[in-house]
Amino acid sequence: MTIERNGSMRRAAPADLILERDGLGAGERLWPPLSNRWFLLACRLLLAAVFTYAALQKIGRPLLFADEIRMYGVIDHGPALYLLAIVLPWVELFCGISLLTGLLMRGSALILAVVNVVFIVVIAYRSAAIMNAEGIGLSQVFFDCGCGFGPTYAWKKLIEDTVFFFAALAILSAPGYRLVLATARGRRKG
Amino acid sequence: MKLVRAITQAVLLAAVAAAAAFAYNAVQPNGIDPFRRPAEAPVVDRTLDLPGDGSGEPREGISYISLEELREMLEAGDPVIDARTAGEFEGGHIPGAILCDYYEMGTYFRTVLPRLSPEMRIAVYCSGPLCEDSEMLARELYALGYTDLRVFRGGIEEWTAAGMPLEAGYGEDR
Repeated sequence: MTIERNGSMRRAAPADLILERDGLGAGERLWPPLSNRWFLLACRLLLAAVFTYAALQKIGRPLLFADEIRMYGVIDHGPALYLLAIVLPWVELFCGISLLTGLLMRGSALILAVVNVVFIVVIAYRSAAIMNAEGIGLSQVFFDCGCGFGPTYAWKKLIEDTVFFFAALAILSAPGYRLVLATARGRRKG
Repeated sequence: MKLVRAITQAVLLAAVAAAAAFAYNAVQPNGIDPFRRPAEAPVVDRTLDLPGDGSGEPREGISYISLEELREMLEAGDPVIDARTAGEFEGGHIPGAILCDYYEMGTYFRTVLPRLSPEMRIAVYCSGPLCEDSEMLARELYALGYTDLRVFRGGIEEWTAAGMPLEAGYGEDR
């Protein structure tokens, strides 16, 4: 039995209904396909795979990652640089595990939404600096973003991170029961 | 309220990740002190043509060497360190070089340092004139008490351009 806020009592809610209360639900109201179960599952798996892999490329080599961050010219030196190099890969790893297992999923979706905005901003900033310095267009800007996937074209990375941002946003805004993996249960519930 | 819950979860997740990160950083060989300062070392000369050049005389600090001087050092049996990654080293390195990836120096120092002694002339190189890893590694070695460090700025690029042979694999290094 659970006690509702208004004091009434009802039968213990099944797990999916408890999750439903967690959900922001905005995605479904905005555009129903956004909260399609399979779409959300795909978003989760995509983000989990990408960020777990990226994290594993960086964990254990903080000095290398610090150098890659330094290349952006935003944080040049000092404890902030090294702390970021030590912690960020682990945050990515835990977000990946979270999306895979469903534990603290909204928290990781929120983190990934925020960090991807930061990534987009700093990649755009560095791309602009390279474009100015070398007098080339965005389509030619090519560098190792330190993302864990090796050197690539900046425009590709910008598109990827935009996709990741919206995937994270979809998970964040989906009603909770839509995120439950046990779809058979969901179907039974109608 | 729902957003508050997401934020609470995010903070919790970040805190757990940070705790794991610091714990792992403390125990792994390549962990770094977040308050570290890049190692510094006096640079003897940045030109390749030192007056009275010749690898015979000891130098205190970092000096840049030419291909010719590197060859003299190799002939004399001085240690030559490759600061690139294991993959790059495996693909081709200066024959007789010792692998010591700058970014994983914590791991490599365990096997590399016992092969060096403070009075040795130690050559360090990386990919080419644009890479800084050789000099960064030389500074770290200086901080550890090795005083005569010679950076071959030309790196693998100049070595191969001069038609010198490369050794693939790990050789006797593993």
